[in-house]
Formats: sequence, structure tokens, C-alpha cells
Amino acid sequence: MRSIVYYIREFLRPEWLKKFFFAKTAPLVTPSYFKDYPTLTDKECTGCFSCMMICPAPGGIEVLRRKDQWVPEIYPGHCIRCGLCVEACTEGVLTSGRILDVTRRDGTALRSWYHLEVDDALCMRCGNCCVSCPINKQEDPQLGSTGTSSSDEVIMRIEGGRVRILHEEKCTGCKTCETHCPNGAIRVARMVEGAHEEVEA
Amino acid sequence: MSILQDIKNAVRSRSIHVSYVDVGSCNGCDIEVLACLAPRYDIEQYGIYVHNNPREADVLLVIGSVTPQWVDKLRNIWDKIPEPKVAVAIGNCPISGCVYNRRGSLINPPVSKYIPIAAQVPGCPPRPTEILSAILSVAPLIFKDYEESKS
Ligand code: SF4
Ligand code: SF4
Ligand code: SF4
Ligand code: SF4
Repeated sequence: MRSIVYYIREFLRPEWLKKFFFAKTAPLVTPSYFKDYPTLTDKECTGCFSCMMICPAPGGIEVLRRKDQWVPEIYPGHCIRCGLCVEACTEGVLTSGRILDVTRRDGTALRSWYHLEVDDALCMRCGNCCVSCPINKQEDPQLGSTGTSSSDEVIMRIEGGRVRILHEEKCTGCKTCETHCPNGAIRVARMVEGAHEEVEA
Repeated sequence: MSILQDIKNAVRSRSIHVSYVDVGSCNGCDIEVLACLAPRYDIEQYGIYVHNNPREADVLLVIGSVTPQWVDKLRNIWDKIPEPKVAVAIGNCPISGCVYNRRGSLINPPVSKYIPIAAQVPGCPPRPTEILSAILSVAPLIFKDYEESKS
């Protein structure tokens, strides 16, 4: 009997009733370090497209030409908020959460280049890739229509009956060659490597 | 009529039943929906109850980028939900197909092609708070004065 009275008294305490019926978890605020959709800083975009190239989500980011400047645009619904574009941008145009702070503190960066590979078994030596490449055209305006060239400065040329890649490092990753190859023989791969510089203690 | 409607409004605002369906995704969004149930976010304190029965649901959370096998089944589920009802797309997948939207993948987004979607919560995955606030903000739009606006 005493215990029943005890329980009734205990549960009728206004404080307990209030907590029981009206308790709410604290309003949940988004922490400042939340890696949200990247936003723009006031730095100027150079239109290097590193951000677009590293984006793992199809259609996540596009760098658009607006009047006289480049503006990266992030598309929610496509972007997966991985933050890679923020890390890849050398200009610091994009920011999200504390990625920039952490990369600055740790001295990390992403190094990327393009790797060209021609599958000799598929390639029929048409030279389309060498001719369509805009950098090739720039380096050697006299480039032959079959992809031959006397210049050593071109990215690639037809030489000795096959495609020879001379200056992979000049490739901008536009993939024009890939789309113009009738056999899918040439592949442009974006290679990315994390780089870390020793921080002074 | 209007008193009855007021009662219905009051009840409905505290009793939103949610059913969710994953039509082909990585399960990341499912985990975030389940995180809403956990004490940290505690979806039930807002009167939202998650249990997977379309027949007693008000809100359908659609997750995933719609694989061919789901096309007719998603429609079935949607038809089973009694009026008034609302579908919310959770995550990038139902909006764009997200990272699966590539050559050679067997998906067919967006979900809005198959059932009417009232709200989208982008993110891969969205935060539980984003899911919560989406449900809370879309539910009154659909359920408030439902009978009166229908007639
Ligand atoms: S955060 Fe990731 S997914 Fe989003 S735009 Fe940047 S690279 Fe693409
Ligand atoms: S990586 Fe930076 S500078 Fe380059 S296009 Fe993207 S936003 Fe612009
Ligand atoms: S990707 Fe563009 S720049 Fe690079 S080799 Fe092909 S066409 Fe030339
Ligand atoms: S376009 Fe393709 S098939 Fe033609 S030379 Fe280049 S890699 Fe070979």
C-alpha cells in the first residue's frame, strides 16, 4: 500500500509530468564543421576545371562562363558533398566546412595529371586523336591530316605506324581524342595523388 | 464541419505516419532515416512514426534511383497509401540517380516520373535533421484542411 502511494506521489510531481510529456531533445543545429555543399569564396576562378575533373558525382559541378568570369556552380541533387572539389581547387575558390583550414594546417594538396593510353590492338592508326586534339593543333599548326607531325612539341603523333605519346603532361584532359576515336582505342585517365608537405614543427 | 476539420488538423499534425521504400540505392539514406528514430534526433517527439506499412502511412519516403524491377512495384505501394498522402524523395538518387547515373547502370531516375513527389531532400545522404525538417514542413501543406480543400 505504501509503495502504491509512493508511486502515485512520485508520478504526480509536476516536474516529472512536465518532463514526461514535453521533453524535447535540444534543437539540433548544424555544426560549423559540417561539410555542406561547397560555397564560393571571393577568390577568382581561373577556369582550370580541376574541380569538375575530380568530381565523382555525375553532374555535380559545372564551371560556367558568366559575362567575363568563370563561376563554378554546384548542383544539389547531384553533388554528394564529398568535398573533393574544394581540395582540388588550387585557387581556394570553393569552401565547405573546415576542409580549407585542415588542408592548410596539414599542408596537403591533390596533384593531378592526365594519363594517355592507346590500346594498340584496337587502334587502326587513323590519326583522328592527334588531329582532333586542340593542344596538338596549337603546338603544330602544320599537323598532317593523318596525324603525322614533324614537331616534337605535340602531345602525340603517328610515328612508325602507331600512335606515339610524347608529351602527356601537356594534356588538359578535354577527352576530345577519346570521343573522336572510332575504335575506343585511346583512353584519357585522370590521375590524382595526395601530396603532403612536411609541416614545420 | 470546421470544428471537425480543426480536430482533424490537430490530430494529423501530431500523428504523421511514415513508410519508407528503397528502390535501389547504397542504403546510406536508409541509415539516415533510421538515425532519425534514435534518441539523438528522436523523430517521434514530433509525432512522426516510422513503420513500414503503406496502408497506414501518410508520408512515403522514397529512397534510391529506381531499378527496373521497382518501376511497377513503386506504383503499387503508392496506390496502397490512403489519401491524403505525400511522397518525399530522400537523397540524390531519386532526384538524379546520383553516382549510379552512368553508362551501363540499370537505373531509371528521377522518381517523379512514376509517382508525384512533393518534396526533395538532396544530399548523399541528407542529414537526419534535413529529413526531419522536410517531413515537418511538407506535411502541414498537404494534410491541413484536407477535407475542406478537397470539396
Ligand atoms: S563536393 Fe564532391 S560531389 Fe560535390 S561538386 Fe564537389 S567534387 Fe563534386
Ligand atoms: S578548380 Fe577552382 S579555379 Fe579551377 S575551375 Fe574549379 S573553381 Fe575554378
Ligand atoms: S584529352 Fe584533349 S588535350 Fe589530352 S590528348 Fe586528348 S584531345 Fe589532346
Ligand atoms: S583515333 Fe583511335 S584508332 Fe585512330 S589513331 Fe587515335 S587511338 Fe588509334
